Amino acid sequence: MKFTIDWLNEYVNTDGITPVELADHLTMLGLEVDAVTELFQELAPIKTALVLSVDRHPDADTLSLCQVAVGAETLQIVCGAPNVRPGLAVAIALPGTTLPGGVKIKKSKVRGIESCGMLCSERELGLSTSHSGIMELPANTPHGQSFIQALGLNNTLVEVDLTPNRPDCASVIGLAREIAGVTRRPLTLPVANVEIKSSCPDFSVDIESSELCPRYSARLVTGVTIAPSPWWLRKRLLSIGLRPINNVVDITNLVMMEYGQPLHAFDFDKLAHKKIMVRHPRRDELDFTTLDGVTRKLDSDMLMICDGTQPVAVAGIMGGMNSEVSDATTAILLESACFDPISIRKTARKLKLSSEASYRFERGVDPGGCLLAMERAVRLLCEVAGGEVAPGGADKYGGQRPLKTLTLRISRTSDILGIPLDYEKIADALISIGFRCKEKDADTLWVGAPSFRVDIAREIDLIEEVARLVGYNNIPTTLPTVQLRYPEQELSRTIRAKIGTLLTGIGYYEAINYSFTAAKYLQWLGLAEDDPRCRFVRLVNPLSEEQSVMRTMLLPGLLENVERNINYQKSAIKLFETGKVFTPTGDNEQPLEKNRLVGVLSGNRGGASSPYHSKAQGVDFLDAKGAVEYLLRELRLLGVGSSSPLGFTLADPARMEPFADPTQVLTIRAGEEDLGIMARILPHVLRKFGIKQDVFFFDLDLDALCQLTSVAKNFTSLPVFPAVGRDIAMLVPEHVAAGAMVEAVLQARESLIEQCEIFDVYQGDSVTRGYKSVALSVTYRSLQKTLTEKNVEKVHAKIVNMLAVKFEGTLREG
Amino acid sequence: MEQELLSLQDEARKNLDQLTDGGQLEDFRIRYLGRKGLCSTIMRELGTVAPEERPRVGQLANTIKAEIEKLFAEKMALLGGSSSGATGATTIDLSLPGRCPEPGRLHPVTQIMTEVCSIFEALGFSVAEGPDVEQDHYNFEALNIPAHHPARDMHDTFYVSESILLRTHTSPMQARIMESQQPPLRVIAPGKVYRCDSDITHTPMFHQVEGFLVDTKVSFADLKGILTVFTQKMFDKELALRFRPSFFPFTEPSAEVDIACVICGGSGCRVCKQTGWLEILGAGMIDPEVFKMVGYDPEIYSGFAFGLGIERIAMLKYGINDIRLYYENDLRFLSQF
Repeated sequence: MKFTIDWLNEYVNTDGITPVELADHLTMLGLEVDAVTELFQELAPIKTALVLSVDRHPDADTLSLCQVAVGAETLQIVCGAPNVRPGLAVAIALPGTTLPGGVKIKKSKVRGIESCGMLCSERELGLSTSHSGIMELPANTPHGQSFIQALGLNNTLVEVDLTPNRPDCASVIGLAREIAGVTRRPLTLPVANVEIKSSCPDFSVDIESSELCPRYSARLVTGVTIAPSPWWLRKRLLSIGLRPINNVVDITNLVMMEYGQPLHAFDFDKLAHKKIMVRHPRRDELDFTTLDGVTRKLDSDMLMICDGTQPVAVAGIMGGMNSEVSDATTAILLESACFDPISIRKTARKLKLSSEASYRFERGVDPGGCLLAMERAVRLLCEVAGGEVAPGGADKYGGQRPLKTLTLRISRTSDILGIPLDYEKIADALISIGFRCKEKDADTLWVGAPSFRVDIAREIDLIEEVARLVGYNNIPTTLPTVQLRYPEQELSRTIRAKIGTLLTGIGYYEAINYSFTAAKYLQWLGLAEDDPRCRFVRLVNPLSEEQSVMRTMLLPGLLENVERNINYQKSAIKLFETGKVFTPTGDNEQPLEKNRLVGVLSGNRGGASSPYHSKAQGVDFLDAKGAVEYLLRELRLLGVGSSSPLGFTLADPARMEPFADPTQVLTIRAGEEDLGIMARILPHVLRKFGIKQDVFFFDLDLDALCQLTSVAKNFTSLPVFPAVGRDIAMLVPEHVAAGAMVEAVLQARESLIEQCEIFDVYQGDSVTRGYKSVALSVTYRSLQKTLTEKNVEKVHAKIVNMLAVKFEGTLREG
Repeated sequence: MEQELLSLQDEARKNLDQLTDGGQLEDFRIRYLGRKGLCSTIMRELGTVAPEERPRVGQLANTIKAEIEKLFAEKMALLGGSSSGATGATTIDLSLPGRCPEPGRLHPVTQIMTEVCSIFEALGFSVAEGPDVEQDHYNFEALNIPAHHPARDMHDTFYVSESILLRTHTSPMQARIMESQQPPLRVIAPGKVYRCDSDITHTPMFHQVEGFLVDTKVSFADLKGILTVFTQKMFDKELALRFRPSFFPFTEPSAEVDIACVICGGSGCRVCKQTGWLEILGAGMIDPEVFKMVGYDPEIYSGFAFGLGIERIAMLKYGINDIRLYYENDLRFLSQF
């Protein structure tokens, strides 16, 4: 909602209040001011001038040679406008001025004759589209002055961002009422107390449903001359950004802005049978052309204003071409009505058409105000357009409801707001903005809400009004008295936080990607069409195809991030994301939302605070595995797997991910349950994402992870006796898994074996082809005594022998 | 013996004083402190001292040796030399970068989210999370926003079907929690929310934290109190706060909360559009209709609710000026926080 301060001043005197203070008052009343602007600053250099004489240009028939007075100076101007004549007050752009359209005026010669500036049309000034001649200023305009000052355009515009509950403030009077209330100044209205006592014999009004149209009033104005509006009226509309059209339309717009009551002017002679019917369209009335020239499809739920034969307006939204006021119009039927907000909203949605009128009706227009606004408009039509109002009129008010009277408890108000209040304070606040108050008993008020406050229906609504007028910042600041309770936290949140700490600790950055994605990414990954992850939760109204389905995997988003970071020349990329994936369950059902943890790594291992300490070495599969091992160990989930340590198993070839390198993939299992996967991504898949270097990833089911029981912390006595270490270097066939050898040692049921670790795996020149050398370090210790060489040697020999037999190995010498 | 010790101490001091460059340090060390140096020689001779004198002289010898070592170390530090000559190690360039594993960082949104949650957890709020894909019922109806209410214009909603949508705020958790639990309640609900709006100041997904407190005798003054504590902890200073009337269908009275601009301190700047204030929160007293829908008696219980945008707070705290950077996961961005 926009208004200018001089407009506001017509209803409430704001002398002594600066625009900034005024804006602050409104904002603190809940009518948030978005902007306060000085209007027409771009026209500041334009001056007023008086045409002294006009002569024909010696070399051009269409040009005039004018002598123009601008203050003390007399200038020679060449002008092409047909309406230039001696005695005319005009707007002049002197050399050096830039017009709103960007044109810069220079002293120039036009057909050999010097011209010291330009006389401007309204279009050149950006005031209208009229370019039929130069703008004619009121006759007594003094020359040599600032144009915007002389015409009263130097005004302050205030823009208010209205909340949907305050349609009464979608009007200058509504805002003036609030200002009057808060500053305790009187409110002056242009029209008060009107009634339509008799019907007008020249037309009739019928309403099909008073539910949908609680009130319809109309009056007939004849003898109207359609013309451009006088300057004061155009100026008012221009200053709030509305385009003046003609006197009749301008008046309806002005009054709508003033009262918040949308009005519509029909060309009376175009209404068949001199009749207005408010009804739904008939089955054969399917197309309707609105004033904007668009032909729209109607449906039977829409409320239409019809004449004796056909629809002539979409009720409360927009009039029709067939009854539009034109230059030939002489009789106006003026409508001032009230419609059901939901019906208007549904129709506006269906037609994808909204207007200043529908904005107001959707939020609720005061049916009690219809006649006031109409009376104001009728008077203006007579004054400005030379009309004569026909006696009587129509006022169908089938939806009239008694004014609401509510009760308001003083104690309740004080309790909810946390500030002690009494009858005087509450009544004083409410009365200031038009409510009526009466004491009911010691703790209760009767409160009558004014009809324009369509938002007031309950005690709490009144409490809010009191709070607003007392001022939120005058309410004290206290802390609630509550019972002490321990706030239980969800385990999944705690674990997610731990994962964040752990992974950032080993160099991973956290990523957050959009929850929506494009289906094509899963095709890029090579997923089969029947893969459950290719069943999406689809958005009905996505912003783009790229964001049209809810993600079923986190990996594609992270791969996009990898690609972006490679482009930005990042050599070491480690990212992780924890987030939801969505699986549809059925139409009109909420999908399953499951949490996953995905990490991606690519490029250099990095890992140190400075390249000086890092080796330029690319990451490999074991970096991914290491991250998962570390995570599971630090989350104390270690040992939950069945056979192998940490529960990593070779991936089932039947259920292999199509984007995973089948030679570099492991499944993470917790007993029988799949916990996730880690793998190298196939290069041809990566190329689809624009990546030309290796990328490894891990993808874990976070919900399943949270279900696992963590290993309790349990103290083991520190060993009393020293350990003895023995290394084994064994040549085994290259297919043998070094991990299996470790497992074999640990499961040998030798009580002296404390630990067994791989410390080298080597394939190369000194090793026979098809074989590799695996070096293990075994730690022996007894809890009872210090081990001797002999004790150890005996067990060690057994172990070596066992390995040699089991893995077809031979002990390597040296 | 004592005399010898004292003169050794004297001599060593003088010699050390005269040393002017690091190279001479090693000679000094060998002469006095080495394995065959003067200190060791004298120590070995302690055996010749009378047994009753031995403890006293022994102690003196140790004191003197310790002092020479100390003076030597000081001199060495002064001359910038190294005593490693004897161990054969090379000198180290102390200007080289220190060695330490390089950590990653949490996303700034997560960092702010954690901070916000911690403040409320310290005030006794528990944390609850809800679905991103929500029923129209919880997102709108249960919050007193029936179909065709103009307030729906404030939410540009992504729909999945007629009655299923992406939640446009975290407020549905109010209804979900209240429906299943009885007061007193103190809960915050962080999470992702979605609006079909994308431009320089909006991303179609962002993060909010909803909070609410329901009990007997909860007042608007209490709401002001809790939010004052929160903003002051969040922004680490005694910031002025301003409560403005506003409208949300699920709270009444409703408020918008501004803090004094953290950039200019309230004098007016580009960030606060010259107003001196920054809007950071929406809040209000929970509307009686919302209570009725979950079966609470509004005559017995009252409560407040508030909601805040995480990205907005991160922008203010970290000075981020382009919201789109949040979801590009550019390491040059992520590594700054």
